[in-house]
Amino acid sequence: MLDLRVRRVDADGVGLVVLGSDRVVDVLFDGRRIWSFWVRRDTEPGRGAARPVRTVGWPPAMRPHLSGTGSVTLRDHVSGADVWSGEVRFTDDDRRVEFVDRQGHPIALDKANRFSPVFSERTAADLDPLLDAMTELLEVLAGAGVAAFPAYGTLLGAVREGDFLGHDSDADLGYVSSRSNPVDVIRESFELQRVVAAAGYRTYRYSGLAFRVDVVEADGATRFLDVFGGFLDGGRLYLMGEVGTPFERDWLLPLGTVSLRGRDYPAPARPEKLLEAMYGPSWKVPDPAFKFETPRETTEVLNQWFRGTGHARRDWERRAAQRRRRPVPKGSSALAKQLRRGEAEGTTVLDVGAGRGRDALWLARQGFPTTAYDFAPRGLEKARRTARRRDLPLEVRALNLDEWRWVLSEGARMSRAGDGPRAMLARHVLDATDELGRQSLGRLASMSLRGGGRLYVQTWTGKGRGGAGLVPVRTKQVQKLVERHGGTVLDVSESLGGGSDGGKGSVGRVVAQWR
Amino acid sequence: MKQGLKQRLQRVVPGGGDQELAERVARLEREVADLRRHNLRLAELADVVQELLVPMAQRDQERVDAAIAAFQDAL
Repeated sequence: MLDLRVRRVDADGVGLVVLGSDRVVDVLFDGRRIWSFWVRRDTEPGRGAARPVRTVGWPPAMRPHLSGTGSVTLRDHVSGADVWSGEVRFTDDDRRVEFVDRQGHPIALDKANRFSPVFSERTAADLDPLLDAMTELLEVLAGAGVAAFPAYGTLLGAVREGDFLGHDSDADLGYVSSRSNPVDVIRESFELQRVVAAAGYRTYRYSGLAFRVDVVEADGATRFLDVFGGFLDGGRLYLMGEVGTPFERDWLLPLGTVSLRGRDYPAPARPEKLLEAMYGPSWKVPDPAFKFETPRETTEVLNQWFRGTGHARRDWERRAAQRRRRPVPKGSSALAKQLRRGEAEGTTVLDVGAGRGRDALWLARQGFPTTAYDFAPRGLEKARRTARRRDLPLEVRALNLDEWRWVLSEGARMSRAGDGPRAMLARHVLDATDELGRQSLGRLASMSLRGGGRLYVQTWTGKGRGGAGLVPVRTKQVQKLVERHGGTVLDVSESLGGGSDGGKGSVGRVVAQWR
Repeated sequence: MKQGLKQRLQRVVPGGGDQELAERVARLEREVADLRRHNLRLAELADVVQELLVPMAQRDQERVDAAIAAFQDAL
């Protein structure tokens, strides 16, 4: 290929001379596609005389796999022509580079540059349960009055290739509501999630207009089906999470059919119109390294209407997943010790934002019946198991402060659960969430601590270093929050250097009570 | 969008290049964003009321517990 030459493939990445237009190159190891990139969009130009040479580093997710030697091929995605191939020594280890998961399944990078078992590696027996689940889920949604269809990558694969896209890792469904304002379509999405959960699926809400359905496949692997809602208003189609464009109703209805691995599924009347809205006019050209370039206006309006239901939740979930096998750290924080000194034996403790459950487990050991809440409850799994094994009074519950439905229903539950004394521990929660989450914590405290319960708060106040993802919250702000939600501040203290916690930042502590 | 709108206003409104006009547009954009954010909150409130108010009004302990549990199972 004259307009694309490979200068080097080594432990750092790939260097190319790009003279022609932008195009996708697949990177294969032992003949199997692992990663794809655009030769201009995803590369950096060289400097000075080296200017025509463009370079791209290996994606961070790939690096841990690059030890030993590998047989690498660079292939033009569209023409299928090999641009370069050869043996590459990444490290001196005497082994071959391998891309497999814990179960030994071949893995590759999807379009978000995350590793997952890709459809192209999977057999009919692997994919049948996903196709069955799609059929079943479409029926469940139809039963609830919604005509859903494969959307985004799943629709694209069906229309273009009659199959899943090899580089994709999940399946997407979409529907266009018969309603036409955001409040109504959000309520409908809530109702649909209830219907799906009642049919026995585990679900997870992304935003006001999208949720995920978990499907366990034949080999025990879990696949995710995303359900994206949409609506037509004033001649525009809004479809979560990337579409906001002029659209005709009869491009959608009546639904037609599309074939996916030999099975028929419902599809918009003019699927090409929806694909163009999703992927732009070049949707027909395969692009395994595709990135959405959603107009800012569309992203803004979808954000403002539907998003904001989990501040930094992905980061916390990733952290929880990484640490879930490690033992729960020993001991307790200074704030938990303060709570123990201040509260009578047998007081029920609500530990909000419990993280890995160190304080919650310690408090349960001290004899306080404790509920550990977190919006990434996976991080609490180890603490829950330890408590069960040792017969400690610890309960783990999910709670998302960025959704009023969680807060109000949990507040209602707590307001009815027994009369004994109660205390709430909120250590580095107000400084880890957003303003909505802070107000929600105040509301939850007011609902569950009425009748003399006390709240123990600790935040980073802004001096020195706070922890990852924390924003400064001063004690004055906490006092104001407490008062706004009907509480009385009993004690305020502030110390530099994390007090007895040994941290480096300044921390403030506030104790408050609700009558 | 902010920039485009500002430029268009500068063309059609006499004296529209004023700092004041730019500030008004920015404020209007913030207000539209605030109003849009109410949609989700309103939908959440309506959902809580619809799903939990009826069993609570019936004052049937078991039904209320079951309603809250079912509600939280699908959040």
